[in-house]
Amino acid sequence: MTRAVGIEAMNVYGGMACLDVKELCLHRGLDMPRFENLLVQEKTVALPYEDPVTFAVNAARPLIDALAPEERARIEMVVTCTESGIDFGKSLSTYVHAHLDLPSNCRLFEIKQACYSGTAGLQMAVNFLLAQTSPGAKALVVATDISRFALADAGAVEEWAYSEPSSGAGAVAMLVSDTPHVLRIDAGAYGNHAFEVMDTCRPGPDTEAGDADLSLMAYLDCCEGAFRDYSRRVENADFRESFGQLCFHTPFGGMVKGAHRHLMRRLYKAPPKEIEADFQSRLAPSLAFGKRVGNTAGGSVFVALAGMLETVDIDAPMRIGMFSYGSGCCSEFYSGVVTPESGERLRAMRIPQALDRRHRLTIAEYETLLRGESVVRFGTKDAELNHQIVPDAWPVDAAGDRLVLDAVVGYHRKYIWI
Amino acid sequence: MDSDRIAEIIIAEIRSTVPELEAQPIARADSMADLGVDSIERSEIILATLEAIGLKVPMVQLHGPRNIGELADLLHAKSKA
Repeated sequence: MTRAVGIEAMNVYGGMACLDVKELCLHRGLDMPRFENLLVQEKTVALPYEDPVTFAVNAARPLIDALAPEERARIEMVVTCTESGIDFGKSLSTYVHAHLDLPSNCRLFEIKQACYSGTAGLQMAVNFLLAQTSPGAKALVVATDISRFALADAGAVEEWAYSEPSSGAGAVAMLVSDTPHVLRIDAGAYGNHAFEVMDTCRPGPDTEAGDADLSLMAYLDCCEGAFRDYSRRVENADFRESFGQLCFHTPFGGMVKGAHRHLMRRLYKAPPKEIEADFQSRLAPSLAFGKRVGNTAGGSVFVALAGMLETVDIDAPMRIGMFSYGSGCCSEFYSGVVTPESGERLRAMRIPQALDRRHRLTIAEYETLLRGESVVRFGTKDAELNHQIVPDAWPVDAAGDRLVLDAVVGYHRKYIWI
Repeated sequence: MDSDRIAEIIIAEIRSTVPELEAQPIARADSMADLGVDSIERSEIILATLEAIGLKVPMVQLHGPRNIGELADLLHAKSKA
């Protein structure tokens, strides 16, 4: 039997501020029936003193704090997974490693492949453990992404259209080990589908571009292609029967719904009623957190996993199907087993309560942030962060356990715990 | 099946996917986006049309047409290839 390996502990961090997406759509004059199709209610908005490092560290800290010193000493790899880099060479993992005070005999690096990065990072860690080159080692994998609409060109609001309400921010930290309490990965059970396509990209340090139709088409092709590759490797795999729950990369809920419908039609010619019922029972639970933080890119498939674990009552071991898609593009369908303990451990992180504590931005506050005057751009040298740009967002009950960006000295980012 | 017949199938799929367009005249020169069909619905319509004409090609190969007529021409060319 293959060695047990997978996610030992997991946490989702959704930042310090959020925006009501319906309010934003009304403010922008967007079509409301279309808004309903997004299946997004709130989105996390990164404050100027939040960046991919603070998101990553704040997601990981509760996991690290819960470890005994001897367990912490076995973390031998830190992988950051992001498309929101802050430097072309130095990886975020160095800052994450420092602020979590992790051992120095650690392999640090970063992975980029748009929203697929998180799965690439998880698979790297899983295969490091399966290879048994350092028996008993643990890896910390953090997928962390933010979107900065503040950095768009003037007059870009119309172009953003539906990407503005769906783009969010968040990080998922995962401790990967040979005691997979949260998700035991089915080793060797995976399928990939990849090809070159220019669907969405970040052509400059502070710019994003994309074609919604092409991205949707590539996602649909990949969902089918990756599952077919999975079923080529896994005997008797059946999309409808093999998985109790499904967790997909979620740019917005409507896209997941479209991909599920496509697969159910292609594979089974399933009628609309059956497809809808199956979506509600096997995919809707995974949207629980995504609809509160928006698209979290590299972390999104794990935000879906966390949402499922939070909302589904698991009374016996259950196999789940995961689908990750990253523009450009690469995708993977893989699986693992969750147990009642998975749900208990995830719920102990109290993720909904943390999301409830975010400051709810008014449209006026959001528009202040959109002007981008306080944002530290990629490559900025020497800066002081204004922590009072939205006074009500600064926590009054700070317990010294949350990291924020304080200054940039030379090019070195300086953070403080508040 | 010629391009005009494929365009008829696309238009029928538009009407069934977006019932609000049932009574509206739709022609080859119309673009789905201009008709108010959103991106998810557009992919649904293309998938249903592929099924109806028995064509199996990756979706990304169908990106680019600016209106229903161009999409029908592309599907026609693919079905002959």
